[in-house]
Amino acid sequence: MPSSPRSRPSKSLAVGLVAATLLAPVAAHADITVYSAGPGNLINTLAKGFTKKTGTKVEVFQGTTGKVMARIDAEASNPKVDVVISASWDTANDFAKRGWLVSYTSPNAAKVPASLKSDTAVAQGISALAIVWNPDSKTPKPSEWTDLAKPAYKDLVNIPDPAQSGASFELVSALQAQYGWDLFKSLKANGAAVAGANAEALNPVLQGAKAAVFGAVDYIALGEKAKGEKVEVIFPASGTNIAPRPIMIMKWSKHLDDARKFEDYMLSDEGQKAVADVYLMPARTDIKANRPLITDLKVLKLDTKSAYAKRKETLKQFSDLFGK
Amino acid sequence: MRRSGFGATAPIGWFATAGLILVVAVPFSFVVLQGIFPNLGAGSFAKPFSALVATLGDRALLAMTGHTLVLGFGVVLFSACLAVPLGVARALYKIPLAPLWDVMLLVPFMVPPYIATLGWIMALEPRGYLEQIVGFNLAPLLFSLPGMIVVMTMNTLPVVYFAVSRTVEAVGSRYADVGRVFGATPARAFWRVTFPLSLPGLAAGLMLVFAAAIEEYGAPAALGGRTHFQVLVTGIDLRVSDWPIDLPGAAILSLTLVTLALLSFLGQRWILQRRSYETTGGKPQNKDKRPLGALTVPVLLGFGTIAMLATVLPLAAIATTALCRTISGGLHVSNLTWANFLAVFQDSAGALDALLTSLALGVGTALVTGLLGLIAAYTTVKTKFRGRMALDIMTILPNALPGVVVAVGLILAWNWPGLPITPYNTPFILLLAYCCILLPQPVRYTTAAFQQIGDNLEAAARVCGASPVTAFRRIMLPLVLPSLATSMLLVFAVASRELVASIVVAPVGTETIATFIWRQFEQGSIGLGMAMAFIAIVITTLLPLCLVGLLRKVTVVEH
Repeated sequence: MPSSPRSRPSKSLAVGLVAATLLAPVAAHADITVYSAGPGNLINTLAKGFTKKTGTKVEVFQGTTGKVMARIDAEASNPKVDVVISASWDTANDFAKRGWLVSYTSPNAAKVPASLKSDTAVAQGISALAIVWNPDSKTPKPSEWTDLAKPAYKDLVNIPDPAQSGASFELVSALQAQYGWDLFKSLKANGAAVAGANAEALNPVLQGAKAAVFGAVDYIALGEKAKGEKVEVIFPASGTNIAPRPIMIMKWSKHLDDARKFEDYMLSDEGQKAVADVYLMPARTDIKANRPLITDLKVLKLDTKSAYAKRKETLKQFSDLFGK
Repeated sequence: MRRSGFGATAPIGWFATAGLILVVAVPFSFVVLQGIFPNLGAGSFAKPFSALVATLGDRALLAMTGHTLVLGFGVVLFSACLAVPLGVARALYKIPLAPLWDVMLLVPFMVPPYIATLGWIMALEPRGYLEQIVGFNLAPLLFSLPGMIVVMTMNTLPVVYFAVSRTVEAVGSRYADVGRVFGATPARAFWRVTFPLSLPGLAAGLMLVFAAAIEEYGAPAALGGRTHFQVLVTGIDLRVSDWPIDLPGAAILSLTLVTLALLSFLGQRWILQRRSYETTGGKPQNKDKRPLGALTVPVLLGFGTIAMLATVLPLAAIATTALCRTISGGLHVSNLTWANFLAVFQDSAGALDALLTSLALGVGTALVTGLLGLIAAYTTVKTKFRGRMALDIMTILPNALPGVVVAVGLILAWNWPGLPITPYNTPFILLLAYCCILLPQPVRYTTAAFQQIGDNLEAAARVCGASPVTAFRRIMLPLVLPSLATSMLLVFAVASRELVASIVVAPVGTETIATFIWRQFEQGSIGLGMAMAFIAIVITTLLPLCLVGLLRKVTVVEH
């Protein structure tokens, strides 16, 4: 910073003091740096647990998938991050294509289904989309996506914006492939509203302004329910879509050994239990969880490659439909 | 450099230039570069201008720009209608409980807009707090363009209120009294004398409101979504809210926003350059205010209504949510709990660390922007420093830059490999981000104040033998201090709760008040987030007030 030729001493002293306070936490040396989307308490628990076990410090940056990726993109000329956990498997494909990822298969990943791992990425946990319904809403309990287009739910349904959430986009793509746009046309005719990202769509259902969310992220709603909120999380029998959350080790990492150990830890019994504790599905099939697991759910068919190839078009059709 | 004016302007001018380049020009030029070179983040200059065509060719851009302008002007008009009469009354008359109204109108600035909006939604939506108490809801009004304008006006009207009340106070009633002596009615004296003389403050305030309104994200995102009222900021956020992200597109849309802010700034300059607004000459000011008389009831009613809508209601909604165990439980005695407040004080999830970090950053930002703003304003108004127009424009650029774009610009600027020393990944990067975003506040406020000070005051001091520094310190500084202090207070409030830039640029492991609240919301702990918000609002309101009280005591002792 340039020093001022005539800044008054009292002020520079004050600035200096503030600066000293601010700088204090940086002095500690970070051993590995992790950028993670999604539940902050999970990544903090994992970081603490790992440090306790190995003594290696974990510095965490947590945000939405979009903000995490914006940071990685802007940093790309001089990257800082060792391990990335995203909420969208598509990022794993894209990073692999750019050659940013290290191939690694953790010994703990043996019990992770083949569909949830690749050469360069493995799922930490999985979320699914569900209908979240308020039983106090004086509406019948819905069991299928199509139920929410019925007159009983007139003006009472929120749909998370597929432009703001990858999981919602995949649900819209999958249902559109199955039912065409008719389902969404009848939802629109029934007064369904497109409402921001996940939490924004869920809050009005908790308060009772809306009766149900069409495709809410399940673990948040299950967490709310555990805290005593009156909501039910319903997985339609016709199927839903799941979002595995890839763990990726970046090729520019200068702490590859520790990064691999952190991946091992996240896939260990202890790490997977922490995943289950925030109501995500653990990636390993042999870990118990207090919620429906991937084997209990029917997963909608979706060709993600072609779905993402026409993402812009799908989003435009969706917003045109709900914009009128 | 030619030395002119009354003092050694060159060093001050150069200091202002260096400061502005560091705080504003560096991140801004990287935003521009990002718009031109899509792969700048990877250090590549490939495919220049390719994103420009795609983004500007988008048909939605025109609609978004139109919506942005409608929203901006709507908020400006409505804030002016509400805040100007109150500000004028506060400046010219003895208002019962005046300090209370000042505090009440200060609080809305301490309430983060996204929190206030959430508070309004939870109060007014179907089965919201209003319906639970009185049996009806105002959702159709809330989720509409007028609703958006009302909510945003309640957040921004303090800017106009304080700008107007301070400048009209500085103009005083002396000039209007001259008009009265020559036979003008009180109304005519006000409209022909006092009001025109107060234009610098009013124009500065309204321009800040316009820039804040077109840059604000929370209310349009939460309230405009259902009516599909897309503005530029929501368009920008959409490009970085989920994978795949589009940084160049976000940068280009931001430059559109900056252009709008620049145009409003040129409009303000055009208004101000047509005449002189010097009212603070050597003559003594009559500081006595008049009694309100017959106006007492309507004026108090006005203050009461605005304080109710802008402060009491949002705060009540925030406090209520923080006190409820569950949201679906509603307003029942059995659903009330202190648990959320206790959790903050027991430092669950690092709440206290976040509070301390944000408060330190708020103080630091207020000091840096205050000093830099004072010097930049002095240079542009009172010296003949060459390039002062460029300085003035630099101080306006960040006004409309959305936080997320400033953050990306800062990362691009300070994360080059091979930089020997960089603030990136230290809390200094947050300080830089906040200074960039908030610098326009002190600059605009102090510029308006300097424009009202006659040159003869400084000249008289110099003739009497004062050095340029002494003249500045003893004459100019005390005269602009009320405006400067007000703006630094606002900077402190906003910096300690800034969200969007903080989320992207915060060093690993550092949490601020806003990112803490955001994380709670994201995890569904709305009550804990609201408790933190409430505590932060109380602290950011009380801290500066105590400081002002303390300063007042000190000056009394000195005299």
